Amino acid sequence: MAPRYVIVGASLAGATAAITLREEGADGTVTLIGAEKELPYERPPLSKAYLRGDVPFDKALVRPAAFYTEHGIETRFGTRATRIDLSDRFVELEDHRRVPFDALLIATGGRNRRVSIPGGDLDGIYGLRTVQDADRIRNEMAAGRRVVIVGMGFIGSEVAASLRQKGLNVVAIDPSKTPLFRVLGEAVGRTIADLHRAQGVRTIFEDTVAAFEGTKRVTHVVTKGGLRLECDFVVVGIGIEPAVELLEGSDIHVDNGIVVDEYCQTNVRGVYAAGDVANHYHPIFNRRIRVEHWQNAIKQGAAAARNMLGKRGAYDDVHWFWSDQYDANLQYAGFHTKWEQLVVRGALDSGSYLACYVNDGRIDAAVGLNRAKDLRRVMPLIKSRRVVDLEQLGDEAVDLRSLHASP
Amino acid sequence: MATEFVTAIKTTEIPADSVKAIDVRGTRIAVANVGGAYYAFDDECTHEQCSLAEEGELAGTTLTCTCHGSEFDVRTGKVLAPPATVPVKVYPVRVVGDALQIEV
Repeated sequence: MAPRYVIVGASLAGATAAITLREEGADGTVTLIGAEKELPYERPPLSKAYLRGDVPFDKALVRPAAFYTEHGIETRFGTRATRIDLSDRFVELEDHRRVPFDALLIATGGRNRRVSIPGGDLDGIYGLRTVQDADRIRNEMAAGRRVVIVGMGFIGSEVAASLRQKGLNVVAIDPSKTPLFRVLGEAVGRTIADLHRAQGVRTIFEDTVAAFEGTKRVTHVVTKGGLRLECDFVVVGIGIEPAVELLEGSDIHVDNGIVVDEYCQTNVRGVYAAGDVANHYHPIFNRRIRVEHWQNAIKQGAAAARNMLGKRGAYDDVHWFWSDQYDANLQYAGFHTKWEQLVVRGALDSGSYLACYVNDGRIDAAVGLNRAKDLRRVMPLIKSRRVVDLEQLGDEAVDLRSLHASP
Repeated sequence: MATEFVTAIKTTEIPADSVKAIDVRGTRIAVANVGGAYYAFDDECTHEQCSLAEEGELAGTTLTCTCHGSEFDVRTGKVLAPPATVPVKVYPVRVVGDALQIEV
């Protein structure tokens, strides 16, 4: 019998896997199940072009509706999977139907962390994950309205920029010293803070929200530092948690997401995971990494599909993402948690730089602000794990491509 | 509207394996020199309007828009990698002496 491929999570990772299965010759059935009712879509525009109203939702679709029928991909959108039975090998849906599988991919993504502080359930407090979330925020957007952004990670920073671009008064709060502090560190983070301040965002760092106030709707944000900020609405961006409740009680190993090997396979044969939910072993960095970005969703979704087809191949792409804010193009590649040296090409305060996070003479990761070409050129150096001449790395006169070859 | 070949630039002004943007009758067109073969296409990336001449990285006939990673085949304009989904428009070219002519 032809194999039955089932994908739970009609996310970018899940949809890409379904597409890849067909493109690479799957001859069995392909079923794509998703809790959201929309066709699979990409999330990057939700905090940027779509939020600002610059592009319609259709532009964010992974594929038009006809694609799935034309390619024999059976879709169950708007249907939540509730249980996986690993001994009889089926997925149970909320309508109690059972979908049997021979190979299963879990690409359920994540859900927003919520604040558990007084007033957190007032109206006018929003997270951003889905297109409905984006629409709710869009309904609040009008020039001159006052918004408080809680959390200046990537989502908070991008939303702050988009709302500022639409003429709202933006106050941003983060417990760290700078935006993006946890990932990029203080020196780089400060340049992002400068970017927002130059655009008129009021930034409040090293302070946290103590309470939201209002009778039915939020009217004030109170901080532990004693500020009381008047506002019309609030957007909270404090990260996500992997959506793994489907696996509760199953034998599939969960630890900061679904644990998979470099072939995207879980500890249960024939069961795979990809995208935001997958804590994957990365052979280049020799450790597990869970990544919540667009490129990983696409590349890992495709890699999982190929492995489901028996085309065994390790997923070892260098992780990469962009974060456009105002007119600035911020990009990051690689993976790092700590660093011995930060080697900078260009000056951090110049509005255009590449900063490399270096350990043991190797570049683990790099971030570029308006340095797209350099960022692209440093990626092979990250992947090769080559020890790099740091003086040349920091010398703008040296073309990074000249460092690719062995000395 | 009828198109015709217009002299746009001297071939000597486009170094090997590089991309240069020029204005041809009001249209910003990028020209890639791939080992002596020339390809012309719209300079604007179909994803988010970055200049392909400025932000593009050419490797053989593949041009990567480094802003967001979209890849195009400069010969056909075809999208080789997302996030772009729409092909970039290409223009016929011919070389007359050292003049590069583009049909617009």
